[in-house]
Amino acid sequence: MAYSLVFSNILFRPMRTLATILAIALEVVLILLVVGLTRGMVNENARRLQGIGADIVTQPPGTSFFLATNTSAMVEKIADVLKTVEGVDAVAPVAVQLNTQGDLGLIYGINLESFNRITNGFNFISGRPFEKPYEIIIDDIQATSKKLKVGDEIKMLNHAFRVSGIVEHGKGSRVFLPLKTIQELTGTPGKVSLMYIKCASPDQIPQVTEKLKQKLPGYTVLPMAEFVSQVSSASTNLAALRYFLNTVIFISTIVGFFAIFLAMYTAIAERTRDIGILKSLGASKRFVLSVFMKEAFLLSGLGLLLGIAFSLLTQMILRQVLPNMQVELDADWMLKAALIAFLSAGLGGIYPALRAAGKDAIDALAYE
Amino acid sequence: MKNILEAIDVKKIYRVGKIEVPALRGVSLKMREGEFISIMGPSGCGKSTLLHVLGGLTQPSEGKIIIAGEEISSAKDGVRTEIRRRNIGFVFQRYNLLPTLSAAGNLEIAREIYGNGKGKQDESHIHEVLNLLGLKNKVKHKPSELSGGEQQRVAIARAVINKPAILLADEPTGNLDSENSEIVLSMLQELNRKFSQSIIMITHNPEAAAMANRLIEMRDGKIVPQDHDVSWNPKEDEIYI
Repeated sequence: MAYSLVFSNILFRPMRTLATILAIALEVVLILLVVGLTRGMVNENARRLQGIGADIVTQPPGTSFFLATNTSAMVEKIADVLKTVEGVDAVAPVAVQLNTQGDLGLIYGINLESFNRITNGFNFISGRPFEKPYEIIIDDIQATSKKLKVGDEIKMLNHAFRVSGIVEHGKGSRVFLPLKTIQELTGTPGKVSLMYIKCASPDQIPQVTEKLKQKLPGYTVLPMAEFVSQVSSASTNLAALRYFLNTVIFISTIVGFFAIFLAMYTAIAERTRDIGILKSLGASKRFVLSVFMKEAFLLSGLGLLLGIAFSLLTQMILRQVLPNMQVELDADWMLKAALIAFLSAGLGGIYPALRAAGKDAIDALAYE
Repeated sequence: MKNILEAIDVKKIYRVGKIEVPALRGVSLKMREGEFISIMGPSGCGKSTLLHVLGGLTQPSEGKIIIAGEEISSAKDGVRTEIRRRNIGFVFQRYNLLPTLSAAGNLEIAREIYGNGKGKQDESHIHEVLNLLGLKNKVKHKPSELSGGEQQRVAIARAVINKPAILLADEPTGNLDSENSEIVLSMLQELNRKFSQSIIMITHNPEAAAMANRLIEMRDGKIVPQDHDVSWNPKEDEIYI
């Protein structure tokens, strides 16, 4: 009903229509990219943890599965004790450090021999393992995004490191340093952040977990599957992350609301006479209301499509230019973004549309 | 012929702050089906207000208005809108076409409103009207691409497209030159003659008024009691061939 009028109205002021569509697109892009980036980073991190191949993870008391927030507070020598537990095949102590130089990411301080026993070793694309204290191994994604090759120098933790090897991604971190070096640089000699444990057989995971809990009272001892699941659900379970996402969604909704509200309010002031004409033709309040609401929803729909297209394009570009920035856009969140966009269109459009529907026909016809 | 419209002692008072301004001071009028009435009178005598009240755009302060057997005067807004949609077609001095729509779009929206967005109306009548008003080649043009005369013809087509019981024309030639005025008036006459379209037309032009079957003069919100009937019209024979 009255679609020709709705379409012709939005084409009548192309710049205003474009500005409104762009504002709605911005709302959708904000939601999809922020959520997508958060989920992408979290899920990618979870996949990398899974790729380590450990069966159990142990952390000191009071630490979080959010590894970046942890410090090295676990005595490295505990590894020797854990190795003696029946059913334990290998233990890899790891010092995790958040790198804030250049980009944000976790650095793993590892002992190559123990880490390789858990992971079955790195697949080197080029170069070799580190042999000197200030040599570093990076994965292929880090190498591509930072345009690094073997022999290049990079700065981390206020020190220069030389890339000794580039490995296939997917084993915990993108950057690996010798454990001793990271302990020295962070002033925590003999301390680690966590330990990855491999069982002699997967069937033994529950029993070994129980034994480790008895051996290390107060420590976090979790089967790796559970640990990964906690990391994966960080975007919904972690309160701070949830608040952040909700704030972004709220601000986006407000942006969409005002875009539609202002566009429709201006349109109605501009088309007062048209409203009078429609009423003189016998249009009911409902008809007038529906014309303006359809316009609001159409603008919102076009903004939504543009926003989704722009988000997909950004995802594609990021994959090429910054492969370490993972953006996950799923249908579920696209649907949520659509609902939010239409909700803001509905809220933004209803008041101006009600005003239009309630206008007096004669006053509207006399409007100059 | 039966009465298509009846107004009984209609009064309309506008309130401007605390001051009451009477626009209609007791107008009574009967209109037969197929009649063409012209209303003349000085500016501010209440002609347009009468047309708005008769068309249900506003409620009278007092009195009764019956259109096609339905009382519109005391009806609520929704009911008045419904009666207006089914029975009234408006033509204004300033054409009042929707500027964003083409001529065809303006006709289409009138049909949509009439049908509440459902169903198709009589296509043959649409073609007849477009032919009669010489608009066949102008349907795709926007109002800004049409001359004043053409715009008013589109406005007339829009007003009669749904076969309203009464066409209310408020100075339809007021913005037109004499040539276009003549075209528009002859078209109104043709609609009245060919489709027995009942028309009430406000005009300041005595020649235009003379084309109607009956002339009503208004002054100070009242009808001047010298109603001319069909025998007054010197062109009667031309009208009822």
